[in-house]
Amino acid sequence: MREDKKTPSVRKLRVRKSHIKTRLVLFLLLTAALMLTVIFAQQICPYDPNAQDTSISLQPPSLEHLAGTDRFGRDMFSRILVGLQTSVLSTLCLVVIITVAGTAAGILCGYYGGILDSVVMRISDVCLAFPGLVFALAIASLLGGGLHNAVFALAVISWPKYARIARSQTLSVKNTDYISAARLAGGNSIQIIIRHVLPNSIGPILVTSMLDIGTMLMELAGLSFLGLGAQPPTAELGNMMSGGRSMLQTYPWVIIGPGIAIFAAVVIFNLLGDTFRDYLDPRNSRRN
Amino acid sequence: MRKWKKFWALLLTACLGTGLLAGCGAGEESPEEDTGKKTFVLGDTTFNPENEEPDVNPHNTYSGWACIRYGIGETLFRYSDTMEIQPWLAKSYENVDELTWKITLQDNIKFSSGRTMDAEAVKECLEHLVEVHDRARGDLMIDTITAEGQTVTITTTEPKPTLLNYLSDPYGCIIDMEAGVTEDGIVAGTGPYIAQSLVSGQELKLVKNPDYWNGEPGYDEITVRTISDGDTLTMALQSGEIDAAYGMPYASYPLFENEEYTISSCATSRTFFAHMNFESPVIQDPAVRRAIAMGIDKEGFVETLLDGNGYPAAGAFPENFSFGGGSVTTETYDPEGAEKVLEDAGWTDSDGDGIREKDGQDLEIRWLTYPSRQELPLLAEAAQATLKEIGIQVEINSTADHNSIRVDHDAWDVYASAMVTAPTGDPEYFFTTHCLDDSAVNNGNYHSDRLEELEKELAGEFDTQRRSELAVQMQQTILDDNAFVFCSHLQMSMISKSTVTGLEAHPCDFYEITADLAPAA
Amino acid sequence: MKKYVLRRLLQLIPILLVITFLSFGMMRLAGSDAVLQKMENTGMVVSQEVIDSARAELGLDKPFLTQYFVWLGNLLRGDMGTSYISGQDVFSTFLSKLPATLLLTAVSILLTIVISIPLGVLAAVKQNRFTDYMIRTASFLGNSMPNFFVALLLMYFFSIRLKIFPVIATGISVQSVALPAITLAIAMSAKYLRQVRAAVLDELSKDYVVGARARGISFYTTLTKSVLRAALVTILTLLTLSIGSLLGGTAIVESIFLWDGVGKLAVDAINMRDYPMIQAYVMWMAIIYVCVNLITDLSYRALDPRIRLGGEKV
Repeated sequence: MREDKKTPSVRKLRVRKSHIKTRLVLFLLLTAALMLTVIFAQQICPYDPNAQDTSISLQPPSLEHLAGTDRFGRDMFSRILVGLQTSVLSTLCLVVIITVAGTAAGILCGYYGGILDSVVMRISDVCLAFPGLVFALAIASLLGGGLHNAVFALAVISWPKYARIARSQTLSVKNTDYISAARLAGGNSIQIIIRHVLPNSIGPILVTSMLDIGTMLMELAGLSFLGLGAQPPTAELGNMMSGGRSMLQTYPWVIIGPGIAIFAAVVIFNLLGDTFRDYLDPRNSRRN
Repeated sequence: MRKWKKFWALLLTACLGTGLLAGCGAGEESPEEDTGKKTFVLGDTTFNPENEEPDVNPHNTYSGWACIRYGIGETLFRYSDTMEIQPWLAKSYENVDELTWKITLQDNIKFSSGRTMDAEAVKECLEHLVEVHDRARGDLMIDTITAEGQTVTITTTEPKPTLLNYLSDPYGCIIDMEAGVTEDGIVAGTGPYIAQSLVSGQELKLVKNPDYWNGEPGYDEITVRTISDGDTLTMALQSGEIDAAYGMPYASYPLFENEEYTISSCATSRTFFAHMNFESPVIQDPAVRRAIAMGIDKEGFVETLLDGNGYPAAGAFPENFSFGGGSVTTETYDPEGAEKVLEDAGWTDSDGDGIREKDGQDLEIRWLTYPSRQELPLLAEAAQATLKEIGIQVEINSTADHNSIRVDHDAWDVYASAMVTAPTGDPEYFFTTHCLDDSAVNNGNYHSDRLEELEKELAGEFDTQRRSELAVQMQQTILDDNAFVFCSHLQMSMISKSTVTGLEAHPCDFYEITADLAPAA
Repeated sequence: MKKYVLRRLLQLIPILLVITFLSFGMMRLAGSDAVLQKMENTGMVVSQEVIDSARAELGLDKPFLTQYFVWLGNLLRGDMGTSYISGQDVFSTFLSKLPATLLLTAVSILLTIVISIPLGVLAAVKQNRFTDYMIRTASFLGNSMPNFFVALLLMYFFSIRLKIFPVIATGISVQSVALPAITLAIAMSAKYLRQVRAAVLDELSKDYVVGARARGISFYTTLTKSVLRAALVTILTLLTLSIGSLLGGTAIVESIFLWDGVGKLAVDAINMRDYPMIQAYVMWMAIIYVCVNLITDLSYRALDPRIRLGGEKV
């Protein structure tokens, strides 16, 4: 096992750092491409995504209809593009809200402890334990349907996860020597949190939020059943997948097309997230 | 480094190994034992407490449906394929006067408990029924029942022309009250099969009734499995774990359209229709209602969206009823005609956005529906597209919360629902529940003087022929007002393996497992 | 320590009160009720009198607060009521669904650990190499497939093509737990292996690892002795969250595989507005979360002595 002692030399770290930069640029470009597609979906889609033509319903992919047609005879490719827009924008919005809110709550709880910690954590117990479906039903009936209400409903029930992770991370760095040192050096709490606690806890949080993009996308679709979420004819990826569920054996393109789009979005955001995390990692830059 | 790799290789192999072992272990255990008994497994999506079928006791909510469908109980009268009343456990009847019915029972029929079915047994059963079952009490309006040998005499509190229809409802299954109802909800009936064990919402086990009065049942043992998920039902039939299925999703039909399976289908009176909200200013305009009726492509909806698994509707009732199908006339799909109707009524598209306006107001309707019936959101989306072509903007609200929204008249314009229009084969039910001033679900506050008048006549009419005529007139009144738009009738299908015969869909959806069900020769 | 545990368990009482009251209120806000839902399902209209008498029978005609306190009173006397839908005793119905959920939770968590920890560590060790990218891509794939899709694919291949497992679960057995557990484990592993990777990477770049390597301690030893142990805090947090939600049941997977657990029971109850059953479920979830959190906090301490439990004097 002698060869395992490859202590990273300064030179190697520099190389790694420049690799990170290259990758970051690459993934940023990919993300930009995705976002451009999302923003200009209406302009680039070859057909009107809502135009029905029942004479060509459920056609397999062809040159004319790259991803086939759905049972209303609508062009799947156009619907996937537009669906990507609906899904990505609302999901990003949701994930940003819960990540920021949850992380803030978790770090404060972990750092200060005491009553604040107990109260916030009990609230989070209630949110976690409370069946999301009950809450969503109440929202649907109180505020009415619509995507923004669905985002709101999901945000309320999803933030505690981030609070939990952030709290546990904070707890594990709180008593480390460098925090104590920073405190002794007279740094105020906010500075310590921002300079030391946050950078040391962000890794797992960022990974969780990137991964949640895929999950939240499907959860948003699940709510449309309650009248929350996108209403027809709005195309939405999760909805398209669950709507095509029983066609898996007979007309698979109806469900696989949107699935690939979700996969692509998830991959791009996650790779970006990972690289961004590597880039932010204080230990990578400290030695630079 | 090498050691490192070895470690992972070992770990992964271990994981795979356990996985495989689990797989093999599972593969070896084969619980199927060939005992020479003829067995049959039916997969059903509806047999569960959520559908009000928690058990097979006909005196409990809608459990009678399970009792009659799975061949446990039988009713005094039954429906023919053309939905006419025929004697079943009864031999004949006599309508002595408006309030008195004399029913003579078949001889030599025994309950599975061993007791002979005589007038006394029927009396006990019906008396218990009206005592515990609110719906039955309201339907039957029984005053007295007298039993004498094989003759039951029933008097009603008011003239009840449809008494025999109501007696044919699944709640009218004749069961042995002496044997009673077990804790699991099992009863003793007269049918070809005897319920043996029941787990609510999961499984019902039946055995052959060796003393069945009307032919020999074809199987020794039958299992009814509740499989609420349509895709699971599909795969269970594909893998051969069930022999027949009820409630298959339409998208799965192509998998079974070959000689290995038999599909038996039939139109039922479960109808997809739209209520117009007469409290809504836009809908109050008869031209708008007419244009909506003309702007929905019913044939297209049935042919492409339901893959042909449905029947375009004209009125409230399907073709196999004497007062159903084409006996009424209504608007057909005619986009040009609809545009002209709107144009004449002053709805024009002056700003060129594709949506018509009148007095500066866009022609926009709010379409309320719910997703628990898979066809309803499809119908909404199809209507949205075809109505847009004639210049009507449709906002869809497909929500589980529709029950509270539909009672708020400011919240919707059109409400599409799926309801059974003639559960007892008689037309009156639909009008009394949906269209009259005091109807429970006259959601759109529709009112027609003529309809109220016709209903008064229908309520007291005993002649079936005349009842049919009245039903046609009443439907026509509704359709002329475009108060409801009937879109399609549900097709009820049962798919069975070709090794099974005698599983036939029936228009009233009551009869599934009968003595005719048997292995193919 | 004992005092701490006791105090945490006592917190259960206010949480239960708050949460049952909330769910009671929200279900009323959600509109509709059991009587109307049943009417919708059967497609049969019943007269207003029948609706009213059915409501009165269930006590739905009483004011909201009265309903809540009647329920609470009965609960304190040990009676959780009967289901509005099946008419069965709520407590025993709920209890009868628990073994299936417990088994599925245990098996899928076990599978998840077995898949995600080795793969996550491997990906971290091979950071940004081919292996890493392969593993991560697989995790993205697992992450972007909805679980009904995974479930149907598995069922198609294993039950129809290979005929290894039956489509219909018959009782609780190895055969029937396999597919639902794999379905759940695929989604969870996809998440966790990435968390494991991130956590291990974090630890790997810490000074003590670098130092240990410089001192000639083998990489393998460092990894197993220090790195994994430290990374376990994160993994544990996530796992406990998952155990919590798994114990709450997974309606989609349960209904596809006819797995008779509490998830489908809960969703059916909510859809049908079966209030007593919903209350039972809500209480179960609250109890799970409080207990699971307590165990997590205790194990944080065991794993990382630097963490102090709230209320303990330093």
